[in-house]
Amino acid sequence: MRIAIAGCGGMGRVHAGEFAQMPGVELVGVCDIEYHLAEELAAKTGASAFASYEEMMSAVKPDVVSLALPSYLHKEYACRSARLGVHVICEKPIALTAEDAREAMAVCKEHGVELFLGHVVRFFPEYVQIKEAVNAGTLGQMGVVHLKRVGSHPGTVREWYNDEAKSGGVIVDLMIHDIDFALWTLGEPKSVYTLRRTWAGSDYALITLVFHNGAVANLEGYWGDPGSFRTSAEFAGSGGIIRTDSEKSRSVIIRKSAQNAEGQRFAEIPESPSLHSPYYLELEHFITCLREHREPAVTPEDACRALIVANAARESAVTGQAVHFGHDFVREGQQ
Amino acid sequence: MKKQVKVGMISFAHGHAFSYLEGLSKLPQAVVAGIAHPVRSEVEEALQQTGAAYYADYHDLLRTDIDAVIICSENVHHAQLTLDAARAGKHIMCEKPLGLSVAEMEEMISVCAEAGVQLMTAFPCRYLSAVVRAREAVINGEIGEIVAIKGTNRGTMPGGWFLDPALSGGGALLDHTVHVMDLMNWLMPNSKVAEVYAYANRIFHEDIQVEDAGMMHVKFDNGVFGVIDTSWSRSKSFPTWGDVTLEIVGTAGTISVDSMAQHNEWFIDKDGKGQYHFWGDSMDHLLVKSFIEALAENQPVPINGVDGLRSAEVALAGYQSVASGQPVKL
Repeated sequence: MRIAIAGCGGMGRVHAGEFAQMPGVELVGVCDIEYHLAEELAAKTGASAFASYEEMMSAVKPDVVSLALPSYLHKEYACRSARLGVHVICEKPIALTAEDAREAMAVCKEHGVELFLGHVVRFFPEYVQIKEAVNAGTLGQMGVVHLKRVGSHPGTVREWYNDEAKSGGVIVDLMIHDIDFALWTLGEPKSVYTLRRTWAGSDYALITLVFHNGAVANLEGYWGDPGSFRTSAEFAGSGGIIRTDSEKSRSVIIRKSAQNAEGQRFAEIPESPSLHSPYYLELEHFITCLREHREPAVTPEDACRALIVANAARESAVTGQAVHFGHDFVREGQQ
Repeated sequence: MKKQVKVGMISFAHGHAFSYLEGLSKLPQAVVAGIAHPVRSEVEEALQQTGAAYYADYHDLLRTDIDAVIICSENVHHAQLTLDAARAGKHIMCEKPLGLSVAEMEEMISVCAEAGVQLMTAFPCRYLSAVVRAREAVINGEIGEIVAIKGTNRGTMPGGWFLDPALSGGGALLDHTVHVMDLMNWLMPNSKVAEVYAYANRIFHEDIQVEDAGMMHVKFDNGVFGVIDTSWSRSKSFPTWGDVTLEIVGTAGTISVDSMAQHNEWFIDKDGKGQYHFWGDSMDHLLVKSFIEALAENQPVPINGVDGLRSAEVALAGYQSVASGQPVKL
């Protein structure tokens, strides 16, 4: 299977690295409008580098394209790839509005190509374990859930993240991971309420989702946290509690006795190594689904629902009111 | 030489009475003179330890020459006991929540003021050393201005009268909003909660009449917002009773507080589960100490009735929000 990657920023490099070590696939092309990024990635992976998407698609004729582009380009390039008859793996969010998401889904369907969405949290083993325990009923009736995801502001590296109209901010770009996970584990939401503030280089939000099954989840998301990137989750139900915390699962800590310019006498590098990264598991799953014509663990509909909830959360932050849903993610008062 | 403070304990319905009593026993300037509790057998050990006189009727205790009372009754009795103690000229430390309506708490505060006695609300979490250190960092400007605070006060279902709304006034939302709410108020003494949004439900325990899950959201008049998980969500197998955590987000940094992180991990076969045993400073002891010292030195108590009101009114407003599904203004 021939793979091409559009966008050679952080996520494009991750996808390329995983595809390069995956049996049965060939990374044939990478493109970026910043051509030197494509060249660097091509040199590492053996793929061909291109300065434009069009050039790459006509030259390498991939079976699948990975869209690791800024969020505001997801819909357009998903549709363009579909029209070329190329299957699409698209980073989250699927789009910035539900309308655009539905358009991308419709165009892919019309052209008979698959659309896979990179909601990678569904492939993190610590989160999968929680999902399985919830499904197995180990936790009983689900009660109170906390999900946390904080790290530095990506806008310090890539300018487009700073424009809410292009990225959707911390809620649509980062917290959508936990929104999707909450929907996956707890079902349909009944209401969404958000507290949020953005200030110099920072975007912080607390989202509370109440579910039709009575459970409540509070999601904390922060772009601009001064510490290392970290996530945590706690699921409490009538049958018990499961928690996970990235800070507490560092299975290797390498301490180096380096003397550096800042007078720091040692360096401490905690890691949590695995045979395969969650990104590998995700991309391999998508390729398997293509080969075996299986439904993926995360469908475009799932991605669209997470986006609907994320945008409702943004709206709640602005209005100060809770947004209420009936069933099937239909807003109350709307049909 | 500092003056001795004679203390009467009114009601041991709330288990904190026992740890306050232990705190008092370590204070040379405090004397436990009397214990009033309707069932003598429940306080027999305390009577033996302290040599205090027993009173089946608290009115009789109030007629003695004690200086102060510590009230650990069911929530519904806080107001009447406080009013009676104040009118008898006794200083008061009352267990939280201070009262079950804004009107009764306002009356408690004003009657104490008229009687010239001090009213302290028992918020021991102000004496958690991790919280004290975090507040110091906030005051020093180490994280800039506060933007938001996410807190948890998750606990174990307390059972007993806590589950009878006629005695408790509410479940987990009331029981566990007030501690962390007070800490938020304490971190920002010049701001007040302006708006409240809350969710409450009964999920973790069958056949109880009050909610055991709660999520409280607040907006302060200075723009800061916060959320508190108030749930009695700790399972029987959980290694400790619960927690008090704070994530304080500032414009120039963040502070994470896990007050109970100072624990050893115990894995004892006969206990049937792993357990955390806390080894940090005793907040209950420090709370009682601050009450007694304030009285002995004729200083204002560090946590007063207004502080109690400011936290409890948030919890009470929370129930209105639960009913409406939307935020309510305070």
